[in-house]
Amino acid sequence: MSQVIACYKWVADEADIRINADLSIDLSKAKGKISDYDKNAIEAAIQAAAVLGGKAVGVTFGTSDAKPSLKDALSRGLDEVCYIKAQEASQADGAATARALAAAIKKLENVSLIICAEGASDTYSRQTAPRIGAFLDLPVVTSVSKMELTGNTLTAVRKLDDCLQTVKVDLPAVVAVLPEINPAPIPGLKAVLAAGKKPVHELKAADLGVDLSPLSTISEIKGYIMDRKNIIFNEGDLAEQVKALVAALRKEGVL
Amino acid sequence: MSQAEDKFDAIIVGAGPAGSACAYTLAKAGKNVLVIERGDSPGSKNVTGGRIYTYALEMLEPGIFAEAALERRVTHEQIMLLAGQRAITVDFHQPGFNAEDQAPVSFTVLRAVFDEWLAGKAEEMGAIVACGIKVDRLIEEEGRIAGVVAGEDEMYADVVIAADGVNSFMAQEAGLIQDISAKTMGVGVKEVIELPAQTISERFNLQADEGAARMLLGCTEGIHGGGFLYTNKQSISLGCVFTPEEVAQHKRSVHEIFQDLKMHPAIAPLIAGGETIEYSAHLVSEAGVRGIHPKLHREGFLMIGDAAGFVINTGYSIRGIDLAIVSGIAAANAIIAAAENIASVGPNYIQELNRLKLLPAMKAADGYFEVLETPWIYDKIPNLANDIMENLFRISGEVPLRMKDNVLGAIKANGLTVWQLAKLGIKGVRSL
Amino acid sequence: MFCKVAGIFVYSDQADIAREIIGFARLNGRQSVVLTLGEKDAQALQNAGADKIIAIKGESEMIENYAQAIAVMLKDESAELFAVGATPRGRDLAARVAGYLDCAMVSDIAAAGFEGDQIVCTRMMYGGAVQQTEKLSGLSVITIPPGKFATAQGEASILSLELPADNRVSLMETAPIVKEGVDLSKAEKVVCVGMALDKAEDLQIARDLADVMGAELGCTRSIAEERHWLPVESYIGISGAVIKPKLYLSMGVSGQIQHVYGIRDAGLIVAIDTNEKAPIFKAADYGIVGDLYQVVPMLTEALKK
Ligand SMILES: Cc1cc2nc3c(=O)[nH]c(=O)nc-3n(C[C@H](O)[C@H](O)[C@H](O)COP(=O)(O)OP(=O)(O)OC[C@H]3O[C@@H](n4cnc5c(N)ncnc54)[C@H](O)[C@@H]3O)c2cc1C
Ligand SMILES: Cc1cc2nc3c(=O)[nH]c(=O)nc-3n(C[C@H](O)[C@H](O)[C@H](O)COP(=O)(O)OP(=O)(O)OC[C@H]3O[C@@H](n4cnc5c(N)ncnc54)[C@H](O)[C@@H]3O)c2cc1C
Ligand SMILES: Nc1ncnc2c1ncn2[C@@H]1O[C@H](COP(=O)(O)O)[C@@H](O)[C@H]1O
Repeated sequence: MSQVIACYKWVADEADIRINADLSIDLSKAKGKISDYDKNAIEAAIQAAAVLGGKAVGVTFGTSDAKPSLKDALSRGLDEVCYIKAQEASQADGAATARALAAAIKKLENVSLIICAEGASDTYSRQTAPRIGAFLDLPVVTSVSKMELTGNTLTAVRKLDDCLQTVKVDLPAVVAVLPEINPAPIPGLKAVLAAGKKPVHELKAADLGVDLSPLSTISEIKGYIMDRKNIIFNEGDLAEQVKALVAALRKEGVL
Repeated sequence: MSQAEDKFDAIIVGAGPAGSACAYTLAKAGKNVLVIERGDSPGSKNVTGGRIYTYALEMLEPGIFAEAALERRVTHEQIMLLAGQRAITVDFHQPGFNAEDQAPVSFTVLRAVFDEWLAGKAEEMGAIVACGIKVDRLIEEEGRIAGVVAGEDEMYADVVIAADGVNSFMAQEAGLIQDISAKTMGVGVKEVIELPAQTISERFNLQADEGAARMLLGCTEGIHGGGFLYTNKQSISLGCVFTPEEVAQHKRSVHEIFQDLKMHPAIAPLIAGGETIEYSAHLVSEAGVRGIHPKLHREGFLMIGDAAGFVINTGYSIRGIDLAIVSGIAAANAIIAAAENIASVGPNYIQELNRLKLLPAMKAADGYFEVLETPWIYDKIPNLANDIMENLFRISGEVPLRMKDNVLGAIKANGLTVWQLAKLGIKGVRSL
Repeated sequence: MFCKVAGIFVYSDQADIAREIIGFARLNGRQSVVLTLGEKDAQALQNAGADKIIAIKGESEMIENYAQAIAVMLKDESAELFAVGATPRGRDLAARVAGYLDCAMVSDIAAAGFEGDQIVCTRMMYGGAVQQTEKLSGLSVITIPPGKFATAQGEASILSLELPADNRVSLMETAPIVKEGVDLSKAEKVVCVGMALDKAEDLQIARDLADVMGAELGCTRSIAEERHWLPVESYIGISGAVIKPKLYLSMGVSGQIQHVYGIRDAGLIVAIDTNEKAPIFKAADYGIVGDLYQVVPMLTEALKK
């Protein structure tokens, strides 16, 4: 049976990141989540697997923190998840990530399509899909806003800066989808319950036989703080607040 | 999925303390339990002032408090009477509430962490917790509740347990309660203000993991209600509870009154330099035993925790989490005892609520309701107390008032009579 | 060898960015070899100050399909860096080349320079909340967004080079995207709408305000990409337009970090939102907590006076 792969990443929710006064960052309060757009990638894989009559399989490369992602991903409708559990994931750059994912995917049989999202919400590097394609020497289609499968052929619409391209490629292939490819549905009760019974394959770094160390060295990480006036007009009723705002803008000379 | 796979021994709606305690107890007894929670994680939407009485956790599993996700052991019980810029603070310190070899009396608590922990314990016992899913309807078959509907999915169970909190939609669906009147409800607003542990300990004079629980009177501009302040490990929970119908008639919003409280000279230094990391608002039952719904069950259906109306509001503290846990245990026990005889679950439950002393405790606290109904305790009493203090401590060149004249004068100045106060005192003593 | 010394190889499907990358090479005292697809693009860049231009000839019209061949060339030429314009095509090509080379790559640099042999890059993480500086050694790849470096001048020779293409992906059709919107990056004032709007017709409320203010209309990604109420070039943020108006005014925009990234350089930020805890207020100079359906018409009226 053919397998459609959805690569998804468990990331810290950027909305919970705290920036200390010295601009160091504090991730301790940040909850984990499946990277926003990866939910669309998962849905795209499920739809593609349905067309191809195959299985939709999630692949994730993460530390032990990524465990809660399994149930979440499976409840979104994936049939199985392959979890590359490795501490190296916390330091991984684009190269190490693609090496890990490609090595894991290589172990799977009959892979016809590998779907990544446009970019992960932490790195937003938009590297992974093309890199996996290069590693596995498979054709790659990025910036996909629409895709259609007929037989063994994928027709995709790519949304670029200046044009929409329609391209065709025979499977197997690697695809990076834009979030507008589908509205990722919120899983229902039965889907959540079913998730508990689906298989998870765990792989360790040693099982992959590739080097997972990053190629770039991080020399500094610091938070960004916006320094703004933060004045909220809350005296009196709305009309007075609007008046105060207009007065302030006039005074600033921006009107 | 076949019908059999869709059927559980119990479905619990809501993963608050009531739901999770019930699931824990049922799963431990080998029951097949499903907990459905609409929040993305248990506790993500829940609001509490901030303290839990530990006896309830001991009832769930002796010693479990030691690994529970709790904040500080409360050893300082404080009462603060605010009037204008002034404040009287009473601090009762009992280090024994914190004794090494026994469960402390109470802890401060942050619900997002606590609820997630407790739901996790239920999961460890074998319960299934499904988050991010809202139950929309109940399924009724032949006069009994047979299951729930969430989105497009139906799920069946021998018993459905409403643990969905105050204003329980499930209980309304089951026809056991009407829309709850605003009269017996308070609306609570609360902020969690982050500060270093060291700073909190210093500001509240706390040793190691000691904590303070403070009740505030006189911070609601005369509106029926009060404030609370709890010290967590690295944050302070500060909030107020108001009667909504009085708020509606009041000229200032709850938000404005609460902001003033934060600026009060007796409060501001306690939270200075802190960052508000959470803001929330929630309803809370204020009616005590009178707020318990007359019918707590029907066939295939039980109500526990806030859904059942189990909250004791004594004015100096709100107790709901412990009662939620106890009622969850009671429901679980009732189901376990009933075995195949589902019809006996309801009566068993009421029996358990009595055996575990939940209903008797609520009845015993009923007098508070009347004390708290006295409209002038929310502004005149704190003002009176502060006036007396002020007269006592303000020394000028004049001949000082005799204590009796000081007190009587202050009572009069606040538009009160000795008789009114005596009546309140009697009510108060009776309620205790 | 195209370069006498190790140099920077450059590609961008947008000539403006290519010019800026050549400027970057010059600034760092590096030679630059510019790759183009075809002669026409090569000629357009002839006076941009590069040391050499290589016009690729081959069987595919898609530059991405030459990734493997380019990777081989970079290695053979002992290139120091492959610097690519950060556009969808450019990112795809760059990452594929990095993949074939299995080398380090930093996407969408905020700043880049050299420290000896090492390339030091700063980039955004977590939607712009965090800035990370990374050091790369050996042949590496970076993508550079527009507007980062000054352009250079000078004539370059053009060399035509046949490269093998990977034809597994074939181009069936190209439909140009007609830019309907204005270039927000040049706007002096911007009114921005978010998902708070109930229906497309309600955009009129924002248009009316924009008209009296003399502002352009912008939006969040969701409005453009999910609802398609405004053209794609109207959305502001890390994946959209980065703007620097004197005044930015948002209505019903929650202010998630990815959006706010696009308005960091705005002179003054004003927010209207019902949720006082919305992150946009943390990023704003002035704000009103209220329903935009009430506040905005009042504001429009007030400004008419
Ligand atoms: C301001 C304030 C201060 C308080 N202070 C204290 C205090 O200091 N100490 C104390 O002991 N008590 C306090 N209480 C009371 C206490 O918070 C409650 O009694 C307690 O939370 C009740 O627990 P519960 O499990 O019954 O309900 P909740 O904690 O309300 O949990 C109900 C759960 O059900 C879920 N739910 C609701 N509807 C659905 C649905 N349709 N489908 C799926 N899930 C659903 C909710 O998301 C929620 O997680 C306070 C309350 C307030 C408002
Ligand atoms: C990798 C990545 C890249 C992204 N790039 C971008 C980007 O470049 N640009 C971008 O914009 N987004 C981007 N996003 C998406 C971003 O995270 C947010 O989801 C998006 O910006 C939210 O749009 P919004 O503010 O319109 O909607 P919402 O977040 O839904 O906010 C709507 C707001 O309207 C308020 N509201 C509701 N009703 C009213 C009313 N009647 N009156 C006033 N206020 C009201 C609400 O309180 C809320 O604050 C990106 C996300 C990811 C993961
Ligand atoms: N650690 C990872 N595990 C699984 N998939 C990943 C991982 N990192 C990136 N991806 C996939 O690659 C996409 C692009 O990531 P990035 O190149 O980091 O922006 C993501 O949206 C995922 O689909």
